[in-house]
Amino acid sequence: MVWKPSSLLAGISILGMTVSGQIVARTYVSTEEVKQIIFPGELLTHYPIKISKEIAVEMKKQSSVSHALDPDKIWKTAHGAWLVIDEVVGKHEMIKYALGINQRGQIVGLEIMEYNESYGYEVMEKKWRGQFLNKTSKDQIKLNHDIENITGATLSSKHVTDGVKRIMVLYQTTLVAVR
Amino acid sequence: MFSKSQQCKKALRVSSVLIGFFCVSSLTLAGEGNFGWIYGLDLQPKGKAEIEQKLQLVRGQAAGTYDYWQGRTELEYGLTNDIQIAGYLNSYSINSAKNYTNPEACDQGVNPCTGGYGLPGSANTLDQYHAKGIDGISLESIWRISNPVTSPVGLGIYLEPTLGRLKDAFEGRIILQSNFLDDKLQLVSNIMFEVEKLKFDDDVIEETVFDILAGFTYRIAPKWTAGLEYRFHNDFDGYGFGNQTQRAHFLGPNLHYATKNWWLTLAMRSQIGGQCWEPGTAECSDGKVWDSHGNNEYIVKVGVPF
Repeated sequence: MVWKPSSLLAGISILGMTVSGQIVARTYVSTEEVKQIIFPGELLTHYPIKISKEIAVEMKKQSSVSHALDPDKIWKTAHGAWLVIDEVVGKHEMIKYALGINQRGQIVGLEIMEYNESYGYEVMEKKWRGQFLNKTSKDQIKLNHDIENITGATLSSKHVTDGVKRIMVLYQTTLVAVR
Repeated sequence: MFSKSQQCKKALRVSSVLIGFFCVSSLTLAGEGNFGWIYGLDLQPKGKAEIEQKLQLVRGQAAGTYDYWQGRTELEYGLTNDIQIAGYLNSYSINSAKNYTNPEACDQGVNPCTGGYGLPGSANTLDQYHAKGIDGISLESIWRISNPVTSPVGLGIYLEPTLGRLKDAFEGRIILQSNFLDDKLQLVSNIMFEVEKLKFDDDVIEETVFDILAGFTYRIAPKWTAGLEYRFHNDFDGYGFGNQTQRAHFLGPNLHYATKNWWLTLAMRSQIGGQCWEPGTAECSDGKVWDSHGNNEYIVKVGVPF
């Protein structure tokens, strides 16, 4: 005879998992919303670019991010500011975020657009995101250096920080030269 | 007084109800093990807890039937962000029938005979042997000295004392972990030491275990990881490493699925081969080690953070 847990009680457990019902990916902020949050009232023009192999290598070298950036998700304002939407690896799913850079190369906004992880929701808090404001491509933008870690959510805070660094490398190597 | 069987059923009902309860609760946090048998350095954050149910089956020896089920119901808690403690309730079920063919083991005129881990010597000539019940409890602590997310090599120390009906034991592990490719690829190794006092036979057996476990998992898709794990197992007679009695190699795949509310890990490993030395030669035949091992081992783990 083989010992097995009660099938009825196992069924209750499975039912519980279904009833808890939070296993749904959520979009917290849409692309149109994030444009208005970071650049309110401004007209943003879709500005896809081509990222050369050399620049892609430099972006990875400086940020350590392996997941490819989508060069189609870039917008430009009439005044030379930029909006880049990117995603980095979360613990279970991708973390989608948007970064705004003004015409002087300073970060003016970081918004988490999708986050579906068990913990680490603190990366969405204004206080943590505020650490990135006014930083430029000359700043280190590195966890535990000029960006504070969120203890207990190290993976999320590291990957978002590395993602921001990568976009700033893209800005320095490519976007800054666009008129 | 409850019989062993009643005690076992009662404990299983309690653990199933607990899992069900926590599933229907509002769940916000998670930490998980994406290997079957290897421990990584993903710990519960400070103040957060998780209930975990493990069910392992060791199946198949030299002949006949050998099924050794182990159930472990675990409650984990993050004492700090780098120290996790846990308690286990362990249960077991053994079904053994004419599973040994080694003449040294079957020396009472019956071959194949009935033996294996968890069986007293008096079961040797029986056609079949069953035992099940609550085995005992274990406590666990893991101290993460460095985090593989921010360091090239993560390092942790694991300690686990066990008090049980089948054995008392004290286990220690050194956990090493390196992550690559945005932490999607994890290489993990455990160096494991254990001293055991086996209590299921008339004579208590003291032994020491030294294992090296190593493996990897890779995020094949959002929420899914898959990998491979290996175990290099060694047993020594008594407390110390002077007299080796067993060596065996195991290899097998793992598959892990996780959402923010629960996770599930499935893994199996097959014994590639092994050998025995005195005074443990009766535990080997056909180039494999039997004892508490089988041709194949399976594990399923479910974790629910709360």
